[in-house]
Amino acid sequence: MYGGDEVSAIILDLGSHTCKAGYAGEDVPKAVFPSVVGSIDQMEVDATEMENNSGPAVEPKNNSKSLDSDKAKGKRKLYVGSQALGYRRDHMEVLSSIKDGVVVDWDAVEGIWDHAFRECLLVDPKEHPMLLAEPSSNTQQQRERTAELMFEKYKVPALFLAKNAVLTSFASGRATSLVVDSGGGSTTVAPVHDGYVLQKAVSSSPIGGEFLTDCLTKSLESKGMTIKPRYSFKRKETRPGEFQVVDVDFPNTTESYRLYAQRIIASDIKECVCRAPDTPYDEIAYSNIPMTSYELPDGQTIEIGADRFKIPDILFNPSLAQTIPGMEHFAEIAPAVRGLPQMVIESINKCDVDIRRELFSSILLAGGTASMQQLKERLEKDMLEESPQAARVKVLVAGNSTERRFSVWIGGSILASLGSFQQMWFSKAEYEEHGASYIQRKCP
Amino acid sequence: MAVSGMAVSDECKLKFGELKAKRNYRFIVFKIDKQEVVVEKLGSPDETYEDFAESLPADECRYAVFDFDFTTSENCQKSKIFFIAWSPEISRVRMKMVYASSRDRFKRELDGIQVELQATDPSEMSLDIIKGRAL
Repeated sequence: MYGGDEVSAIILDLGSHTCKAGYAGEDVPKAVFPSVVGSIDQMEVDATEMENNSGPAVEPKNNSKSLDSDKAKGKRKLYVGSQALGYRRDHMEVLSSIKDGVVVDWDAVEGIWDHAFRECLLVDPKEHPMLLAEPSSNTQQQRERTAELMFEKYKVPALFLAKNAVLTSFASGRATSLVVDSGGGSTTVAPVHDGYVLQKAVSSSPIGGEFLTDCLTKSLESKGMTIKPRYSFKRKETRPGEFQVVDVDFPNTTESYRLYAQRIIASDIKECVCRAPDTPYDEIAYSNIPMTSYELPDGQTIEIGADRFKIPDILFNPSLAQTIPGMEHFAEIAPAVRGLPQMVIESINKCDVDIRRELFSSILLAGGTASMQQLKERLEKDMLEESPQAARVKVLVAGNSTERRFSVWIGGSILASLGSFQQMWFSKAEYEEHGASYIQRKCP
Repeated sequence: MAVSGMAVSDECKLKFGELKAKRNYRFIVFKIDKQEVVVEKLGSPDETYEDFAESLPADECRYAVFDFDFTTSENCQKSKIFFIAWSPEISRVRMKMVYASSRDRFKRELDGIQVELQATDPSEMSLDIIKGRAL
């Protein structure tokens, strides 16, 4: 058993889109940064550094600082954190560490953890117990690997793995609920009963905030509006109030970096103008709605009309995505992807009859995309129409958008700060005695 | 599972046992105080559902058990013991988290609960719902 001293625990929630890290007991995570990493093959790095020395190109002054974060792993160099990624580098690819809730690149995950501990929180992981949030579908193999890494590499004194959906459910005061977590990379529907995730009934779809952002980008492009990534132009004030935009060409920029930089802007447009429509989107009915304007970083002002409603409606009706020029490739997976209400109903129907009623009346909407305006109202309305007559439907969201976005992290933060929780940790001593597989017993 | 590891005071088990066996309470309200679940209020057998509902604070979480008497369609007198996790939406996140993560452990200590409810506002534990779940 881990004694639990006065040192506060660290809470890490590594999602497919952003990583949230901070101290137990606090209200919000201290650090929030992208969970993608920039990567440059080492050979090419040498070459670019030569170029930089000869040319006038400016290297950022924080070279010494970035050296710590830029882990040279094998033959590539990783760049982690919003700042390191914000700076364009030749040949830098942007890679995601997680796909569909599963870690695909452990080096990148280590890079992210390093960045969180050493640069964001400035802590020595040896001194702090760690509580990690994990996706509901995490495999035994992944959990053991996590335990091994945490105890062997970071030498943490104690560890705990808690399921995303359970933390969200508890943070809203419920031990039984249906958690609809619409995040950046995907949307997951997970029933929680008495604090356990009912694994067989979990369903997920690749439609999350990022997918909507891509749809919006393509749709705008098809209408002749291009979003220029911030690095691709220079904006100068020629006379007070007058700006001149000059395009700059970086031929060695990778496509993945261009997309990353473009997504940052597009996702802001989405957050500013999009709103879930009250009824299923209809091309004709929305053809005359008033336009909303948005000023892009390069000074260009764009007008957005029906897309404001069409893009969010993709959550409810994924096949809409195929109608957007440039998203045709979605047709390949479209038949397997369900809209939000169908996912909820299917998931509930896979659960025991006795708890269905309770699940219908506690549908919890969480995750970054849950902050979309009118999303809760629309989901509740659709659920009322599609649920059995006798069911009492209730969709709940946290009061403010911070709680919605960080519900998982906040749940972990409170749990790990409880005095009574200190006896629950999987301690280093237990790990040394029983091995990594003991995680299954300690954190079922 | 993520559980808080909260302790349960002996008084909780004792009073629940009395409610179950001797029926000398209509309801019991429990609260979490300094890492332990303790008895906050006992309702005498002649108190009503309304008295019980009023005993739950509007902005704080509680656990409660309620002994519900009813008559079945075959005109048979029965009673069922309800366990209610009261977690109003306006209560603080910390409190919701503490109560939800301690609930499973606490419930196990109370042997003899027949129906469980979780409620975030009074309508979710109205007399109609209690009746509906009892039958």
